[in-house]
Amino acid sequence: MSRRYDSRTTIFSPEGRLYQVEYALEAISHAGTSIGILAKDGIVLAAERKVTSKLLEQDTSAEKLYTINENMICAVAGLNSDASILVNYARVYSQDYLKLYNEEIPCEALVRRVCDLKQGYTQHGGLRPFGVSFIYAGWDPIYDFQLYQSNPSGNYGGWKATSVGANNATAQTLLKQDYKEDCTLQEAGELAMKVLSKTMDATTLTSEKVEFATVGKDKEGKVYCHLWKPAEIDVLLKKFGLAKKVEDEDDE
Amino acid sequence: MSGYDRALSVFSPDGHVFQVEYALEAVKRGTCAVGVKGADIVVLGCEKRTAMKLQDTRITPSKIAVIDHHVCLAFAGLNADARVLVDKARIEAQSHRLTVEDPVTVEYLTKHIAGIQQKYTQSGGVRPFGISTLVIGFDPNDKTPRLYQTEPSGIYSAWKANAIGRSSKTVREFLEKNYEEEMDREATIRLAIKSLLEVVQTGARNIEIAIMAAGKRIEMLPFESIEQYVKDIEAEKEAEAAKKKPRGQTSSN
Amino acid sequence: MDVILGITTANEVIVITSRAFVRGVSILKADDKDKTRILSPHTMMAFTGESGDTVQFAEFIQANIQLHEMRNAVELSPSAITSFLRNQLATSLRSRKPYNVNVLVAGYDEAKGKPELNWVDYLSAKVSVPYAAHGYAAYYTLSLLDRWHRTDLTLEEGLKVAEMCVAELKKRLPIDFKGVDIKVVDKDGIRTEKVIE
Repeated sequence: MSRRYDSRTTIFSPEGRLYQVEYALEAISHAGTSIGILAKDGIVLAAERKVTSKLLEQDTSAEKLYTINENMICAVAGLNSDASILVNYARVYSQDYLKLYNEEIPCEALVRRVCDLKQGYTQHGGLRPFGVSFIYAGWDPIYDFQLYQSNPSGNYGGWKATSVGANNATAQTLLKQDYKEDCTLQEAGELAMKVLSKTMDATTLTSEKVEFATVGKDKEGKVYCHLWKPAEIDVLLKKFGLAKKVEDEDDE
Repeated sequence: MSGYDRALSVFSPDGHVFQVEYALEAVKRGTCAVGVKGADIVVLGCEKRTAMKLQDTRITPSKIAVIDHHVCLAFAGLNADARVLVDKARIEAQSHRLTVEDPVTVEYLTKHIAGIQQKYTQSGGVRPFGISTLVIGFDPNDKTPRLYQTEPSGIYSAWKANAIGRSSKTVREFLEKNYEEEMDREATIRLAIKSLLEVVQTGARNIEIAIMAAGKRIEMLPFESIEQYVKDIEAEKEAEAAKKKPRGQTSSN
Repeated sequence: MDVILGITTANEVIVITSRAFVRGVSILKADDKDKTRILSPHTMMAFTGESGDTVQFAEFIQANIQLHEMRNAVELSPSAITSFLRNQLATSLRSRKPYNVNVLVAGYDEAKGKPELNWVDYLSAKVSVPYAAHGYAAYYTLSLLDRWHRTDLTLEEGLKVAEMCVAELKKRLPIDFKGVDIKVVDKDGIRTEKVIE
């Protein structure tokens, strides 16, 4: 019965649903998990990257976390090729706004703009929706630190802690259990890594499998966005006790 | 049904445009919104989805959108569709000011929104907007409250009170029974909240109220006052139930 | 021969515009020629230049700023509004028929808690200044302002300086500009402070 509505462009099913969008969501639920947690003094994003081969160069690029502008970063889950189109769009739009108003774009304005583009792909014929969900972390003077999540339908919402991708139901439950209002960036980081280690198949985490980023304020009160280098992540994992034991490494 | 609902918007042999009808289903899946006109004000009430524990309510978008200082709307259906339609309406409102130096009338704006919705039922390669809207406000230099509804098909209509979205039929029937002409501010707000309570079980936490008065900007009713209204309404309901009960008991005695 | 003048004080910006509608050496209308537009609750612009261009441009900017406010439910800062205005003027300058408009943007930056005055000319040069004037008004008043302006002026002192400027203009300008409107922008918004006939 439903086969009739899922074969072509995005149209309503008799129940008023958009199957193409729901299938896009399905695609995302197979992607590596991404987690975002809002702390009182910043935001952390953590993501699982699926390592496919040992031969893959690790240092070249991030595949889950991207910088959008001075005040914003995002995590993606879904089709990476679709994601890069949207990330590029977001970057260009941020700069256009900066050029026009000489101020950084407010977080919500940017999220909304990208979501409007996504919405267009669910309404205009011949196109499939974008198969990506985003977690945006950013700062602006209006709402301070903010965390948003968006999905292929073009909907978005604000969150204190959220997750997208594989096992996101599990991740969400864990977050609900352990999230504390007014936690520090440090605590949020630890929670993110802990949740990630539980949702991933692996028992130990390494910088090859994990990406990590923070938005916060430095000592002068200036906002920074920091995508962590592999070496930094390894140090962090060791600190949280989630890294491989040293003896194991010796065995190899 | 043989394929006439597959192509985007074409007639079936028995005269249906299925995509439009399905869009109405999307509206019915959306949260409920009501509009009520009083003597001097007009009120929008919205059902708010229960915020999950981890949701950040300060930055979660509202279902009530200000189009210009004197007009706003509430919608039911697909949120993302609504955002895009609202944006088109906002552009038209400012563009109208620019070209004729007057703010839009509420009917003009409604007609414009409905016009866009109609276009999406007849153009190639698009699906209709999966939303209905309630547009409220005041015309410039006029004290008559206005309330209109638009639908995915592009139909628009004026109302004294109406509901869209989930269980809108129940709410509309309630409004039909309880609506009175020339209600004052209190009574209007009260009726809007009372009608929403027909479908919203969880009370004030899941209700959003916007009020417009002539020459004034939109007023969002604070949570505390909504809560007070809800309490009063519930107390009244209980009192009514209590009144009925003793009579029932005496008759059985 | 319009008078367009802006003076910042400690907590507000005073904007002075002449009331006459002048063309060449003739006065076409003696009053009620508003040379300002309100852009947002805390920002206004005053303009002079090619008549027709001025109002067209001002209202275009006004509509766009209001649209931005409706979309984002936040007020743009005066400096963001001026940047937008400058960008539009600069784009127009490079078109077939550019707008010929000189502008002052007066606003109160709520986030910074400070008044702000921006000067933009028809070549899209933009600068943030403590006091500014366009046209002939500049020739006769800048020296006065150099002498009497302080950043810590109270509103009363500011208005006094403004009146000195107006008196000087009345004395020196060859055309009677039929008095001025004096507007004030502060944390409470925009208001007409007084009219000097």
